Amino acid sequence: MEQFSEQLINALVLGGIYALIAVGYTMVYGIIQLINFAHGEIFMFGAYFAFTLVTVFNMPFWVALPLSMLLCAMIGMLMDLVAYRPLRNAARLSALITAIGVSIGLQNLARIIWGARQRPFPQESLPAFLRQGFPPTESLPAFTLTETAIALPGGAYLPYRDLFIILLALGLMIALNRLVTLTRIGKAMRACAQNRVAANLMGINTNKVIVITFAIGSALGAVAGIMVGIREIIEPTMGYYKGVAAFAAAVLGGIGNITGAMLGGLLIGFAEVFGAGYIPYGYGSGYRVAIAYIVMIAVILVRPSGLFGKSTATRA
Amino acid sequence: MRDKLTSKNIIFGLLIGFFPIFMYAVDYITLLLSYRDIYLPTPSGDYILYIAVQVGLYTLLAIGLNIVCGFTGLLDLGYVGFYLVGGYTAGLLMVRLGFSYWMVLPLAVLNGALWGLLRGAPTLRLTGDYFAIVTFGFAELLFRIVKNEIWLIGDINGFVKNIPRASIFGIELNQNWHHYYHILVLLALVIFVTYRLQHSRVGRAWVAIREDEQAAASMGINISRYKSLAFAVSAAIGALGGAFLAPFWSSISARSFEFWESILILCMVILGGKGSIKGAVVGAIIIGSLSEVLREILSNFPQFGGARYLIFGIILVLLMRYRPEGLIFKRA
Repeated sequence: MEQFSEQLINALVLGGIYALIAVGYTMVYGIIQLINFAHGEIFMFGAYFAFTLVTVFNMPFWVALPLSMLLCAMIGMLMDLVAYRPLRNAARLSALITAIGVSIGLQNLARIIWGARQRPFPQESLPAFLRQGFPPTESLPAFTLTETAIALPGGAYLPYRDLFIILLALGLMIALNRLVTLTRIGKAMRACAQNRVAANLMGINTNKVIVITFAIGSALGAVAGIMVGIREIIEPTMGYYKGVAAFAAAVLGGIGNITGAMLGGLLIGFAEVFGAGYIPYGYGSGYRVAIAYIVMIAVILVRPSGLFGKSTATRA
Repeated sequence: MRDKLTSKNIIFGLLIGFFPIFMYAVDYITLLLSYRDIYLPTPSGDYILYIAVQVGLYTLLAIGLNIVCGFTGLLDLGYVGFYLVGGYTAGLLMVRLGFSYWMVLPLAVLNGALWGLLRGAPTLRLTGDYFAIVTFGFAELLFRIVKNEIWLIGDINGFVKNIPRASIFGIELNQNWHHYYHILVLLALVIFVTYRLQHSRVGRAWVAIREDEQAAASMGINISRYKSLAFAVSAAIGALGGAFLAPFWSSISARSFEFWESILILCMVILGGKGSIKGAVVGAIIIGSLSEVLREILSNFPQFGGARYLIFGIILVLLMRYRPEGLIFKRA
């Protein structure tokens, strides 16, 4: 029971993080039909930016978080302007190969700037409730508040940090949903996703919409990166592994479908945590990443439109 | 290719054929000069020969990848998976069961072709980025398997050590010039087969599929058959490369088969121009030598270890931007 609750919390946190990354993939795919391979790298840069701002520039965490989001949004926009926009009318695979090139480039740029070794996020720079806590030795009654966690019935602890990540992911997802459904720019995005040429003819500046899409997706990716950074570890390859899992989430939810990506993220999070947790010890962790690959391949082969996507004609 | 026995081609052929002799001559001269206290700042000829073998191996892989990427026009991001299959088939059979290299070579090729068909069967109807993603996932899964299945591989991180060298007429092939001629023979074989396939009914069917699958089908081309054939041949060549690698390095590990290797090979094919054997060869020679030279230079600057792949990333982006058809040869 205790293990189950802990796994449940882990799954929710991981699911939230995957959902944050997956919407970035899915929004870009929805509009320009490009698998933005480099989105995982943006996520990784988000973590490194926050790390650098906090350690080198001594900024408080609450300043570093929005600032790294902004920086990542700028990288995302720059990426679109420099790499993808010139290929807007080229063959689809050229854009995909470019995205892979950007991905390798950024990943290894990070390796040069910050080094290949894993870095923990400096816990002392975090606000107290986001720090890593250790469960108390004696068991506390349910709903007691300790310094870093809430005791849950059944003996498990819900760290404030995990609660914060879950709530933040949820809040951002709701905000994104409102943005896409209610605002003018959201309407423009939906129009571009339906038919870019027609949207352009209706007077929508599609290039601007695409750049904004990249910016929003990258900012959300940066949040996810920082959350993974404070909870796990920062390394240059984190974007690659988490990025693929999040992409699997986007595919599972039906690529191009924002709500689908959110639910897909949650599902992949659950699959990964419970898959890794209940496969015999030692095996689960090695195959943790593989679970997302398997889900991704299975979805593409069996139901390419995803769980929540509308089925379309063959994509060439 | 079969016709021109011009002086240029003869010189070119002689240059390739006697390359090791030149290299050992260079070594000999530097040795003689060193007796007179003259030290040339050149790398040793033997080392250059070693790089030449590496480049030859990459050329082999680029030609194999070119069959799927260039001829049938599908983006294969998991080519390294077949390289892995070949490497581990050869390595494990030789180490565990004591098979000789010459027995293992055809087995690895067949096993590679089998895996090509296995991967090909479910992906036959996929195109574009979906195909690319499935191939990518496939190679990553194989990578995970060799990394984690210790009972199968026998060591952690997919290490297979002490792979015996190949030997011929009782001579162990352990010198770099042995490897050089070995890979040269394999390359010649592969180029011959690929060239004949390209200029046959099969090759024309592949190109027709690339240009328009539906039109090709309506002209009576059996799409699944020809695509499966392309997957099998391409995978077999990749496995051949892996089988060569195992005794050449005499130990393999999962790290040799990471995703970035696939991208490196893809970079070669694209640089040369998709759909051209000559292009794949030239692309592999350029990128392969660049890769080895950069690896050598960067080994002095450990903090810039990532720069090698940064450069390949930039090359890919620039190529797609300015020369999507390839730098050297335009698609026929």
